[in-house]
Amino acid sequence: MQLRIILPFLSILISVVLAAQEPVKPSLARKIMTATRQVTLFTGLEKQVLEGIQKKDKSSLQQLLADDFEIWTPNGDPISLEDWLPAILGKYNLKSFRISQMSVRDFGDTVVVKFMRSQKAAFQGKDDSGEYFVVDVWRKAGEGWKLSDRYVSRIKAAVLPPKPTGKE
Amino acid sequence: MKFPLGKSKVLLTLLFVMLAVNFLAAQALRQPASDGDDVRPTGHVADTPTETMSAKPSGGAVVQGNGINYHGGPVLHGNVPIYVIWYGNWTNGPKASDSQTTVNLIDAFLGGLGGSALELVNTTYGDNTANVAGTLHLQSQIFDTGSQGTSLTNSRLTSLISSHLTNGSLPTDSTGVYLVLTSSNISEQGFCTQFCGFHTDQTINGKNIKWAFVGNVDKCPSGCEAQTTSPNGDSGADGMANTLSHEIEEAISDPDLNAWFDSSGQENGDKCNFNFGTTKTASNGSKFNQTFGGHNWLLQQNWRNSGGGACAQHL
Repeated sequence: MQLRIILPFLSILISVVLAAQEPVKPSLARKIMTATRQVTLFTGLEKQVLEGIQKKDKSSLQQLLADDFEIWTPNGDPISLEDWLPAILGKYNLKSFRISQMSVRDFGDTVVVKFMRSQKAAFQGKDDSGEYFVVDVWRKAGEGWKLSDRYVSRIKAAVLPPKPTGKE
Repeated sequence: MKFPLGKSKVLLTLLFVMLAVNFLAAQALRQPASDGDDVRPTGHVADTPTETMSAKPSGGAVVQGNGINYHGGPVLHGNVPIYVIWYGNWTNGPKASDSQTTVNLIDAFLGGLGGSALELVNTTYGDNTANVAGTLHLQSQIFDTGSQGTSLTNSRLTSLISSHLTNGSLPTDSTGVYLVLTSSNISEQGFCTQFCGFHTDQTINGKNIKWAFVGNVDKCPSGCEAQTTSPNGDSGADGMANTLSHEIEEAISDPDLNAWFDSSGQENGDKCNFNFGTTKTASNGSKFNQTFGGHNWLLQQNWRNSGGGACAQHL
């Protein structure tokens, strides 16, 4: 084989390898944000709701949720407070949670809160862990706020370790 | 010149294998670090603490056990130079605070913040070399009326800074903090709905550049201002001064986002966000808690990394 045939191959290979060695183009992967007052406030309120679920604290949930509260999921009809509370206080076990990427749109007496929630949980013994995208509508109620609408979509289920087969 | 066919095949195969291995090795180095090691600072995330990483300080400059942890990265030492890019319309923009008055007030604020009682709280942070000095100075500032348009993204902010470092209107200084301050006609993803400002670090012009963004908070008084009547009669400037103190303190104590933050990822400023402590009342009825640079200011407290830790206005 002649060198003039080999050289182009070599030059392509070397170019590809050199390109791989190039330093990664700097990207803004991380930034540390100073939360708005509303993000601080509603992070606290959302935590209270989740802690109410965790502790199965009916009275604190009733203080935070509007009487006409409805929760919407991608599949199925909206669930009213009357139906949701017994389910969430019954066989739902919220072990841990994390709220992130919150943003709040302020419309005066109404705010729209959007955030990501990752959780470890089980419902009726079935694993319900994973990541969720939540959109909540809070309405002003006197000096405080009440959650009136929740739209929740599961982004991905938790990746669980494989069950032991006994053959390992 | 000719190679025997058999030898050239072997040679080519060997070369291919070597280069392929090299290529794959380079790709592996470029994988993003796992985010399972520690909670990175986010500034506003409430979550269940999961801190697992804790660097052991080896020098005498690092004090721990005050509600905030050291993660091994550097802090900014000495008298920190501050560079400002005033972006947008700071002459006569949509809000009254898009004005030269605001520019003058922020200049006075940056001129007086270094060595102030509040900034000395930052001297409780250090790395294995030395502690933060608590001094800073306004090194230089430029005006850009809109080279990147009115709708900023993270990449446009990077381009903005990069262009001014490349064209020499600002020096490329890895020991300083660059501030991008935008007027109210400029939008930035997440400003007012998620954050009032942010800080970060990035390699620009071959150096690690620490920079922060703060917009004119008159765009969202309910989200980013503590009071509408403010000590200097300019709610935009006074609100920006508060956010700036937060960002500057964090950019100095955690410039590369790997030095000081707590188990839930909060840096020193985050731990006292919109927490002002004891205040006094100015003649116009507004509240203030700091006086320097010839003005009164209402500035959030900073987390003191001593005596068990607390939000503090001074040492």
